[in-house]
Formats: sequence, structure tokens, C-alpha cells
Amino acid sequence: MSDLLQLVFSGLAQGAVYGLIALGFVAIFAVREIVNLAQGEYAALAGLSAISAVTAGVPLLPAVVLVVPMVVMVAVLIERLCIAPIRKMTPLLSIILTLGISTALKAIMLLIWGPQARGLPAFPGRDIVLAGVSIRSQELWILGISAVVGAAVVWAYEHTLLGKAMRACAEQPVAARLVGISPRMATMIAFGVAGFVGAVAGLVGSPIYFSSWDYGLGLGLKGFVAATLGGLVSLRVALFGGLLLGVLENLVAGYIDTGYRDAVAFLVLLLVLLVRPQGLVLKASAARV
Amino acid sequence: MAGLQVQGLEAGYDRLQVLHGIDVDVAPGELVAVIGANGAGKSTLLRAVSGLLRPRAGRVLLNGEDITTASAERIAARGLAHVPENRLVFPSLTVDDNLSLGGWTRRKDGHRAERRRQVLELFPRLADRICLPAGALSGGEQQMLAMARALMAGPSVMVLDEPSLGLAPRVVGEIITTLGRLRDDQNLAVLLVEQNVRAAFRVADRVLVMDRGRVVAEGTPDQLADDERVRAAYLGGGSTSSGSVDRPAAEARPAKATATP
Repeated sequence: MSDLLQLVFSGLAQGAVYGLIALGFVAIFAVREIVNLAQGEYAALAGLSAISAVTAGVPLLPAVVLVVPMVVMVAVLIERLCIAPIRKMTPLLSIILTLGISTALKAIMLLIWGPQARGLPAFPGRDIVLAGVSIRSQELWILGISAVVGAAVVWAYEHTLLGKAMRACAEQPVAARLVGISPRMATMIAFGVAGFVGAVAGLVGSPIYFSSWDYGLGLGLKGFVAATLGGLVSLRVALFGGLLLGVLENLVAGYIDTGYRDAVAFLVLLLVLLVRPQGLVLKASAARV
Repeated sequence: MAGLQVQGLEAGYDRLQVLHGIDVDVAPGELVAVIGANGAGKSTLLRAVSGLLRPRAGRVLLNGEDITTASAERIAARGLAHVPENRLVFPSLTVDDNLSLGGWTRRKDGHRAERRRQVLELFPRLADRICLPAGALSGGEQQMLAMARALMAGPSVMVLDEPSLGLAPRVVGEIITTLGRLRDDQNLAVLLVEQNVRAAFRVADRVLVMDRGRVVAEGTPDQLADDERVRAAYLGGGSTSSGSVDRPAAEARPAKATATP
């Protein structure tokens, strides 16, 4: 029993990181039909940058706080340079384009930081044992920060006028322009949000899951799978999909074989695509006219 | 020079030229209707005016300001509201949110509540459905919402693309009556593209007939109703989709129409 609880709990922590990455996918896809395959790279970039800062003598907290806006700026800059100039964006084009961006970012990170995986020092706190489950303080940090950031992003998209304006761009791009909402602005902000959640995921996860130049690829795929559970448009389902995926992976790794861990995500993706390609949860009113 | 002036407008898609030099003037407090067969270029005219389509030649002036090459977002901010074909409300957002987004360009001027009150007075049916997602409304209600959303920007010029499309005759009458009120009470310059010719004739001060990208006839509804060609093409027996806005229509038409040259 405590084995199960242990696996579930550490799965939740891992899943929270997936959930944040999934949120990044949806943050963009809910505004423009762009699948941003560079989403995982923001996490790798944030982790590696913070490690360099800490190694250079910057205390952990300022390092983390400085890296987040830096990654947001990188994400926005890439959007300005590579996404904004495309006049007729299609989902397929966006996949090819962002795969290229992802590859370029990975190459740059490999050149700067080398092939070695490293981790940030753990955030302050003590590990505890609760009901036979050993809980690392970093896992609590992951869950706490992911919950706050996730809730903030969901709230901003669902309850602020700006968030509604951005969703309007996805639902009715023509009508959005006619009421004066600039799709260019909305896309730029969406990429900023994606960079933000990606950076947070990379930073909180780094002490346990490490950061490396190629960390983003696997992480991005897991996040993408979690996001497809909500049809790439539901922020809430993306978050919970991440948690679910993390727990499933851990259970498979614990009870069957660690080697099958990475197969879980693809199995889930396959199932979603075969059974409900529109996402597990579908709002009837969201039908596009 | 207030209102909307379109001068020698040419526009099209890729190699297809749709508009071959269109001239339209709409003054404040005037409602000009554009009728014509499918493919005459009516929707393209509105798209070129509101910036969804970049014109190839000619000029568009909004309250005297040249907006020919401005983006749709900027033109909306300058006070031209385009109520698009098929309404295009934001389906998953509530009626209230749709209205709020309609006022997007004026979101900082502090008069949102006041405009919202006015708009709901004009379309009381929306007030009852204020918390529903727009996708759950009927076609007529969605059309009202699309118009209300456009009005939330406090426009001086409003262009509408087939507001009667697919609506029950009674609802068409309601919408046409509201358009007349907007013109008379708010001094709005209205450019109305309409397939429902009888409905358009009922409210319009002037009517343009378009055919293959050109204006082929122009005049007051009375003048055009006497024109043999227009009668044959657009007012003939069973050719219009709605015989409903019939006799009462002619009576309801404002007297000022005859004063227009």
C-alpha cells in the first residue's frame, strides 16, 4: 500500500511538470492554431541558465527569479522572428517551423553547456515521511508552485478581458479583428505565457529531474500528450492530464518495468488519437461555426 | 467630411478581380443598401472597406481620414464597425463577454457600462440571455448579439453583411426596424448589404445595385422600384426569399427617404 502511495505521490510531482508544459501548448493553441514543439526547450533553457548563474555565485532565489523573464523574452523574440512573419500559418506549417526552432535551440544549448546533465540545488526545506511515504521537499515545491502558476494562467485566460480577447482570436479570428483585437499581439502574449510556464517547469523540476540540452524533447512530448487529452484547447484538462500521465508512468515503472516508463505517453497518445481525437473533454458550445 | 466615402475602389483575391471601381457615399444618419446577385462583390466591398482585404486601387475615407491601407484592427478603433456575414459571435464566450470584447478598442474610456446599458435597451432579448454562451443562442439572437457587439465600440459608421440571412421573417423585420432606429436616433452612417431586397427597400434611404463588381443602378427605393430591370431581377414574384416584409414594409419606410436626392 505504501508502495502504491509512494509511486502515486512522486508521479504527481513529475506530472505537475508535465502539466505546466501541457499548459504551454494549450496557451498557444487556444489563441492560434500553432503547435509549438519548442515548448520543452524553454524548460531546458531555464534550468541550464539558472545552473550557470548559481555556479557563477548568484544565490538560488535571484537566479531563479531572473531566469524566468529571460526565458519569456527568448520565447517572445523567437515568435517575433520566426512565427510573426509567416502570413498564412497552418498547423502543419507551425509544426515544421517549431521543430526547426527546437532543433536550433538544442544545438545552441549543446554548444554552450555541453552534453552533461546537471541539476539545480534543491530549494530550501526538509524531506519528510508521511504515512510511510517519503516526500522530498522539492516535490512539495513542484506541486505548490505548479498549482499556483497553473491556477493563475487558467484564471487569466478565463476571467480577464485580455484572456477572453485571446481566446476570441482562436474561436473567430475574423470577428476578433473586426472588434479591434490584434492577432499579432495575442500571439505574442501567448508565446510569452508559454515561455513563462516552460521556464517555471524547468526550474522547479531541475533539482530532481536534471536539466540537459536534450531534456526538452522528451518533456515536450509528454506535455504534448497531456495537452491532447483536452483537445489542445482546455487548460484545465491539460494540467490534470499532466498529473495523470505522471502517475501512470510511475505506476508502470514501479510495477512493470522502468524501461516501459516512456512508452506510457505514446500509448496514451495513440489511444486518444484513436478514440477521441477531439480530446477527452469536449465543450458542446465550443463548436466552431 | 463625416461618414464613409468609397472612391473608385478595386479589390479581389489573387488573380481574381472582384471590384471594378466602386463609389459609395454614406452620410451620418443615412442608410445605404447594396443589393445584387450572389457573386456581385457585395461582401468583398465590405471586406475591403473594413480592412479585411487590402484594396488594389481607390480610396476609403472614414470621417475624412484615409483608411485605405489601415489594418482591420485599426479601422475598428477609428469607429467603423463591421457586422460580418454569418454573425461570427464568439461561441464559447458568454453574451456579456461578447459585448465586453465588442468594446475592446474603447476598453479604457470608462463608458463601458453606459454603452452596455444602451445596447441592451436596444436588444432587450440579449439581457435575458446575458450569461449564456453565445453559441447557445438562436440565429436571430446571434444576429442581434453581433450588432450589439459592434455597437459596443461606439462606432460612427456601421457596415452589415446580410443580417437577414437564414432568419425568420419576423426577426428580419425586427432587425431592420432596429437599423432604422440606429440611423435616426444615433445618427449612424449605415451601409447594408442585403439579399432580402424587400427588407432592404423598406429601410434604405438609397439603394445601390451591384453586378459583377460594378454599381449598375442607384437611387431611392421608390425610383428603383419603378425601374423595369430592377423589378424584373430583384422584386419579381417568387424571386425574393421573403415575401413577408411586404405591405407594412412600404408604410414603415421613413418619409425622409424622399428628401434624399
